[in-house]
Amino acid sequence: MRFVPAHPTTASQVLRFQISRLEKALLLATVQIFPVLDSSYHRITKDPKNAAAAEQRLLEEAMERQKAEHKARLTDFLRAKAPVFQEVRDELYLNLTGEELEWLLQVLNDIRVGSWVQLGSPDTDAVRRASLTAEEARAVAAMDMSAYFQSGLLEAFR
Amino acid sequence: MRERYFARDNFIGTFPKIEYHYPMPETAVPITRPDTAEDQQTKSREDLDRGYLVICWDDPVNLMDYVTHVFQMVFGWANAQAEQHMLEVHNAGKSLLVRETFEKAEHYVHQLHGYGLQATMEREE
Repeated sequence: MRFVPAHPTTASQVLRFQISRLEKALLLATVQIFPVLDSSYHRITKDPKNAAAAEQRLLEEAMERQKAEHKARLTDFLRAKAPVFQEVRDELYLNLTGEELEWLLQVLNDIRVGSWVQLGSPDTDAVRRASLTAEEARAVAAMDMSAYFQSGLLEAFR
Repeated sequence: MRERYFARDNFIGTFPKIEYHYPMPETAVPITRPDTAEDQQTKSREDLDRGYLVICWDDPVNLMDYVTHVFQMVFGWANAQAEQHMLEVHNAGKSLLVRETFEKAEHYVHQLHGYGLQATMEREE
């Protein structure tokens, strides 16, 4: 996956990434497991004295609402009817607006952080253990795939 | 935070430019001080209201570039400022991002959590 900068003469609002067929399949398979991160992960404060229940509840509700919106949007994305994936001759491109890119980054990060929490929030190097259960191996793969695509998307801002 | 692909050892912080203003003798005229009592009272109220700190905490999972990007998006900061805060989170374990009113601090914390960062709002002691 690689960012294709727009030609200087083009006032394009679309961010374009060249993507292989394998990467497309991996991206679609990765985002399919969204949402992974539980809303109870989000804490409004670290201070137990000020851990106001109302504000904490508001935060969790806001996160649940956001995940529901992201999920609905993901359904359209997975159908791939929208022209996000475009084939030009033999090359495949992922076309995203700035807003779509932000959305996709958030979806991927939910998968990455959620998978990390599922693994017990270890130091990321500690997940490379000799023995993993099938479930743990899936979580490690989801973390890595999310990071791979996040890094690819962030190329657009470098 | 997780560092990937390249190290950021060469980061150079920005230093504030200091400007000195000296009074010009030829333009010195008697100054009548306005009654500042009300202004000070208003300022104190604002300071009191802006007594909530938005803090971002380190974790080993969010990518460094991603955190920088999120700070830019949420606070509208330039890359250098966002990167400085990201490095503070990475090296010191946390960074004080803004000092705000309750409502604004809550808004920022919600936005940062929307991006999956561990941010909290703490009442300033």
